[in-house]
Amino acid sequence: MSTKTTPAVLLEKCSKWYGQVIGINDVSLAIDGGVTGILGPNGAGKSTLFKLLMGRLKPSSGNVRLFGVDPWVSTSPYRRVGYVAETEKLYDWMTGHDFVSTLARLHGMTREEASDRASHVLDFVGLSDVQNKEIGKYSKGMRQRVKIAHALVHDPDLIILDEPLHGCDPIARTSIMSVIRDLGSQGKTVLVSSHILDEIERITEQIVILHNGRLLALGNLHAIRDLLDKHPHRILIRTENPRKLAESFVPEDPVYGVRFAEDGALEVLTNDLSAAHEVLPRVIVDSGLKVTSIENPDDNLEALLGYLVGDAS
Amino acid sequence: MSAEESNTDNLPDQELPETPTPADTELGQTRMEVAYGAGDGDDDAQAIVARKASMGVLYEQIYRPWNGELGPRWVRNYAIFRHHVYGIFRGKGHRYYNPFVRLSILVIFLTSLTPIAMIFLSVTISGGEGSDWLNRMWGVNRYNLWGQVLGYFPRNLCMWPLLTALVVGGMISDDRKNGTSAIYFSRPVTRADYTAMKYLSSAVVLGFVIVFSYMLYYTSAIVFNGEGWAYLIDTLPIFLGGLLAGILLVITYTSIGMALSSVSQSRFFAAIGFLAIIFGTKVVALMIELIFETTVFYILSPYDSLAHLGQWLVGIPANYEHSLALSIISILLYNAASIGLLVTRVRSLEVTRE
Repeated sequence: MSTKTTPAVLLEKCSKWYGQVIGINDVSLAIDGGVTGILGPNGAGKSTLFKLLMGRLKPSSGNVRLFGVDPWVSTSPYRRVGYVAETEKLYDWMTGHDFVSTLARLHGMTREEASDRASHVLDFVGLSDVQNKEIGKYSKGMRQRVKIAHALVHDPDLIILDEPLHGCDPIARTSIMSVIRDLGSQGKTVLVSSHILDEIERITEQIVILHNGRLLALGNLHAIRDLLDKHPHRILIRTENPRKLAESFVPEDPVYGVRFAEDGALEVLTNDLSAAHEVLPRVIVDSGLKVTSIENPDDNLEALLGYLVGDAS
Repeated sequence: MSAEESNTDNLPDQELPETPTPADTELGQTRMEVAYGAGDGDDDAQAIVARKASMGVLYEQIYRPWNGELGPRWVRNYAIFRHHVYGIFRGKGHRYYNPFVRLSILVIFLTSLTPIAMIFLSVTISGGEGSDWLNRMWGVNRYNLWGQVLGYFPRNLCMWPLLTALVVGGMISDDRKNGTSAIYFSRPVTRADYTAMKYLSSAVVLGFVIVFSYMLYYTSAIVFNGEGWAYLIDTLPIFLGGLLAGILLVITYTSIGMALSSVSQSRFFAAIGFLAIIFGTKVVALMIELIFETTVFYILSPYDSLAHLGQWLVGIPANYEHSLALSIISILLYNAASIGLLVTRVRSLEVTRE
């Protein structure tokens, strides 16, 4: 495991330009332990960030360190890193077991160690029953899982997964997300990129948001959301008589406005979500109305990214 | 047969409960309750659910950390080397070589052993004129040792270049085309190691066919003719000269082939490019010789430069009028330029949009 003084991943004022095009711009961050979601729309700089970490690109300025070592200069950190590239090709003629054990040997394992370890990680990702089948015959979800298996085969401390859920069916997604959560719970540092917000939200609350190469936010999803006080929170309430309920809410302090959604639901607008939720039960009970649902549409990643990206652009 | 199947088979159709509709949410749970609630715990207990579909899956994921020690650099490099070399003999779990390539390598190797068969034939029919002729044509002497690696047209201007094109053509271009070099570069494998091991793998395969067949030829001549120490002392320097020429041939062809493979995204282009260099330079030099009566342009041809040096190494008269130094410089330049190109290209592999 990485020590506290040396984070697994460290970027210091790191920028990468492709001629006139910005890959990432003045990004500084340190990540160590647990699962961290790297979020951002296509072209935000997620893959550039991973390529910098994997020594595929040299930063135009700033520093990149994996376990304290510059990955552009030395491949030694890769002994502790497992990487799943977004578009990585596999040896389709090999069986899953042969492929993973071959790559284990590239890390310096003996034949027996590699074979044993390959069997274990394939079992961990749920491919033990097809490990002797050629990879060319695997489904997309199986291919993604075999990529995760080969990244785990040497028991790395840092696992970097670039869009690991891309193209997977729902069952494969659930399985892969479960694997990622398990790895994070074991104290490994896991970086997962995605542009699908719901996926990351189901894996972790620790996020890094990139947009146009800039670091927009870093930290806990809900904490970040709480920092955005200037943006209103909405509470969406479905009831039999929204107008009557709206009258009850207007005098309350945390509420600064109400409006009606297209489907007739009541939208309560507030700058203090916690305070609003404290008064909510009393107001509803006093109104005597039947409420069928209460939602917080802004307290999710999609809304958060929408606000942040809106600010950035 | 499982208990569930047994129960299902024994039940008459009319006793089967109605299939719950989607409106009956928690489909599996509801039917499980029926099944488990139907029995009272006695031996006669019988579930009445007639379903063979599984009700759910317990997906147990246990990650076991690995506490072993990863091997040093040479272990990783050996893994790359064996991956490429073993693939020639055994496709499973190693680099994939097209069956046509593997068959071609076998045919070329067997063909390169034909002089051994001729020596054996000359021994078995010893005494007659035929035996003398066979021995003169195929037996060990300076010309035949040179010819084994550099002399005979079908072998040296067809088989060795073809062998190189087939083996080396896809060595790096396949990785460039498929993006599989990323597999290496996301591991503690340096680009220098990656290049060196690919080079060594190719050279070993070529060496096995070219140099090993040469060694077999010399050895079998001694064994079949029952030669003694005196013969060995007489011929060993010549043999070693030919051996060095063979090694230089393997190195030079591998260098050129690998360089072409590194600049190409197609094994076909790399193979054709290699054949074009070998044959093209020779044809150009030949035309210039016919027109201007000078052999100096043979320094453009890697094969002829190697042949010139080989003639000197085994001690036979040169076919070329120009200085041997020019041929040596040509070989050095071809190797230096090829390795320089190879290293430069591999350095930029997988480094996108730099």
